[in-house]
Amino acid sequence: MTNAKLQVRGLSKSYDGGRIEALRGVDLSIAAGEYVAITGPSGSGKSTLLHLLGGLDSPTSGDVLFADTQLGLGIDLDTYRSEHVGFIFQAFYLMPTLRAVENVQVPMLGVKRSGVDRSKRAHQLLKELGVDHRANQYPSQLSAGERQRVAIARALANEPQILLADEPTGNLDSVNTARTMEILTNIQRERGMTLIIVTHEDDIAHAAPRRVRMRDGKIEN
Amino acid sequence: MAIGAFVGLVGFSNAFEQAWMKMYSASGTDIAVIQQTFLNTSLDESATSKVRALPIVAQATPVIYNVMDLTPEVNALAYGWKADSYELQSLHMLSGKLFRDGQAEVILGDLIAQNLHKSAGDTLQIQGTSFTVSGIFHGPSALEAGAVILPLDQLQQLSSLQGKVSTIHVRLQPLPHGEAQDVYLRQAEAQIEAALPGLRAVPAEERASNNQFVHLAHASAWGTSSIALLIGILGIANTMAMSVFERTREIGILRALGWKRWHVLLLIQLEAVALGLCGGCVGILLGYAALQILAVLPQTAGSVVVTVHAQLLFEALGIALLAGLFAGLLPAWRGAQLSPVEALHHD
Repeated sequence: MTNAKLQVRGLSKSYDGGRIEALRGVDLSIAAGEYVAITGPSGSGKSTLLHLLGGLDSPTSGDVLFADTQLGLGIDLDTYRSEHVGFIFQAFYLMPTLRAVENVQVPMLGVKRSGVDRSKRAHQLLKELGVDHRANQYPSQLSAGERQRVAIARALANEPQILLADEPTGNLDSVNTARTMEILTNIQRERGMTLIIVTHEDDIAHAAPRRVRMRDGKIEN
Repeated sequence: MAIGAFVGLVGFSNAFEQAWMKMYSASGTDIAVIQQTFLNTSLDESATSKVRALPIVAQATPVIYNVMDLTPEVNALAYGWKADSYELQSLHMLSGKLFRDGQAEVILGDLIAQNLHKSAGDTLQIQGTSFTVSGIFHGPSALEAGAVILPLDQLQQLSSLQGKVSTIHVRLQPLPHGEAQDVYLRQAEAQIEAALPGLRAVPAEERASNNQFVHLAHASAWGTSSIALLIGILGIANTMAMSVFERTREIGILRALGWKRWHVLLLIQLEAVALGLCGGCVGILLGYAALQILAVLPQTAGSVVVTVHAQLLFEALGIALLAGLFAGLLPAWRGAQLSPVEALHHD
């Protein structure tokens, strides 16, 4: 899959028996290696779009295509999430009972990889993100910035082509926000990954070469 | 607790069966003659002479079994034997002497004597009749150590079974040179059954594992254990259901990170099995402790020797494993069905 572009066609998502329409016929194409910020007010459907792009959920109608393959038909959603996508969340979502290095290894448990290989890769990623010295700490012992860096390391564990970040700086102070965005943009540039960020923050949105603004379940621009 | 009940109760019933085996082997009984029908458990004492007349039979002795209340707290197996029974040879008299036929005399196993605080020369009331304790003995099995043995005619009278016996124990002539044991046994069984139409001759080993007392002990043990196991399975299922509910978000994270449904299913099932096995190990210790207690309680001491065989341990662990697997099925299935998005937004 060299041209791992993402495409959505006529994407709709409704809840509660159709009474709530989160997305209404969205069309979007994102090239491989592109950096896109999705913005919009609360309830505009930006997180729903991100979930559908990441295969976390299935659309009510329409298609999501990854490298011209329809999600759920040509490739199952679990495999897509495991091998091609890395998620970063606002609330970090680290396993509280696992150490930092173990958290990074969690996605690798779903693919064929030896224990030694997993551990080596986890330490390497933590080192790249400057938190290897905290490898044996539990999430509760880490600062918010460190937790988000561990979460980024976890998202990179299976070398995905696409990185999806849902308000990645929402729980961070300005110093850690700047540091996290620097890390994400460096990763996107150096690895040629597709980076899609959902954000409320204008500074972050404006740093992205392409911005997609949403309102009432549709793309404005 | 369920595994503890299983180990305790099934261990108890197994120990009971083994005690019967030991009793037969120690006395040298090869065959027991019994009624063919299950409900009619007594046979005429007069059949003993017909058995004795067979050339293949070395000795035959009539026996009555019963369970007697000796005190409100203590009941015991009571055996009615003839004073010349060959089975008395397997007992070691510790004090006093043997009973005499036709006399209100009993001999007590050392364990029951200790529980009743009786010694040779004392008096023992059995169902309103006064008996003299003529001696105290030590027997080869717990069933004798905790038993009262009295003259056959006395127990027939107490049980209103005049002229009747529970079984006739048979010791065969020595095995002829070159003949196989099982062939010889079958030959003897056939000869006895031919001489006594309507009665069955069963090898002592089979009789030990297939008599009313052992049947009752096994049935009670398995019945009670099954109920306890059902409660145990529900307990594990409840724990796992709570665990899945409390960790819904964690399951969502795992699914978001690419874990397949069967990975989640396997994780929850493994936890349920681990829970079952840990509970099983604790249960085995509890069951063993329960057996130790049963072995010293006056009501049960005569029936129990605390030996837990490897087979029972493997059975207990196997049941614990299956209980965990079974109990984890529904919670695991429900966990695996969770939508990643809904699970991530779970509070």
